[in-house]
Amino acid sequence: MYFYLVFGIIAVLFIFVKGMFLCFIPQSKLPQVFERSFRYIPPAVLAALVAPSILYTRSAGGFDISPVKIAAGTIAFGVALKTRSILATIAAGMILLWLLTYLAG
Amino acid sequence: MSEEKQEFLRGARSGVPLIIGVIPFALVLGLAAREAGLTTLQGVFFSTAMLGGTAQLAAVQLYGAGASALVIVATAIIINLRYSMYSLSLYPILEGRSFAERLFAGYCVSDQSFAITMAEYEVAPDNPFLPAFFLGASLSIFSVWIFSILIGYKLGTVIPAELSLDFTIPLVFMSLLIPHLKGWDRQVSAVVGGVAAVVLVPCLPLQSGLLAAIIAGIGAGMVSSFFKKKENSEGEE
Repeated sequence: MYFYLVFGIIAVLFIFVKGMFLCFIPQSKLPQVFERSFRYIPPAVLAALVAPSILYTRSAGGFDISPVKIAAGTIAFGVALKTRSILATIAAGMILLWLLTYLAG
Repeated sequence: MSEEKQEFLRGARSGVPLIIGVIPFALVLGLAAREAGLTTLQGVFFSTAMLGGTAQLAAVQLYGAGASALVIVATAIIINLRYSMYSLSLYPILEGRSFAERLFAGYCVSDQSFAITMAEYEVAPDNPFLPAFFLGASLSIFSVWIFSILIGYKLGTVIPAELSLDFTIPLVFMSLLIPHLKGWDRQVSAVVGGVAAVVLVPCLPLQSGLLAAIIAGIGAGMVSSFFKKKENSEGEE
């Protein structure tokens, strides 16, 4: 029962957080400043998600700088800019990651 | 087939490349749920009642380690606070939809479905069927997520970690970032968000570094929009 109580509360609070400005806090109540922030949410979020995953490998000891990921990620970003294709970016990044890991290893 | 249905299916198909990176994570999560001592029924509840990635992993590990309920709940919520910003950003797309539909959107949104929908919105903001696209993307990702957690729970991590398939996640996100880089103010916001994340994520607990970096990036963008406006109005004179 304890399990369902704890995770039930998490599930309900998740819906509140994830739907916060969609359902619970009306946009009309927000200061104008928020509206200007819309434009910057996707670039800030995506860059913040990408950069650490390209720079570091997570291990039990924490975050280690990973030259292999940096090289594969940087070249893949070039491919993404050039092709605008998700699949080409995945292919370039993964093949380079495997190849460089093999060569380094 | 109606246009709305077509957009739903297009969203679901667009979710496919993002799924490759999601599966290994969900398998790890399923294994962690088993190691934390969840029964099968609890595992089903755990995978269907919420969608939270890292927050789910942290919560189930803390539960297994016997942490207090308050610590488990607070940890999970802090890790997922960034989703509140997704809801802010998705609002223009889902405006006018019923409360129940918007609530359901909050339930099934993920980093992935947010990213792919915003990339779509950037290219075609006037597409009236974007909610259907969003729903298709969210549900295809969420259903594979649930299924993979259960596989991980039953069978363990069946994909070898050496393949590093989790690296496809940043690869997909970087290609989805590109449409948002038009205008130097948005480039500033991406650079500040990225650099701040690199500095803050390793040193702040509970992924709060990620949240702080996102806020820094948005703030930097808003500051540069102020200068950009000035530049534009001077150009008009």
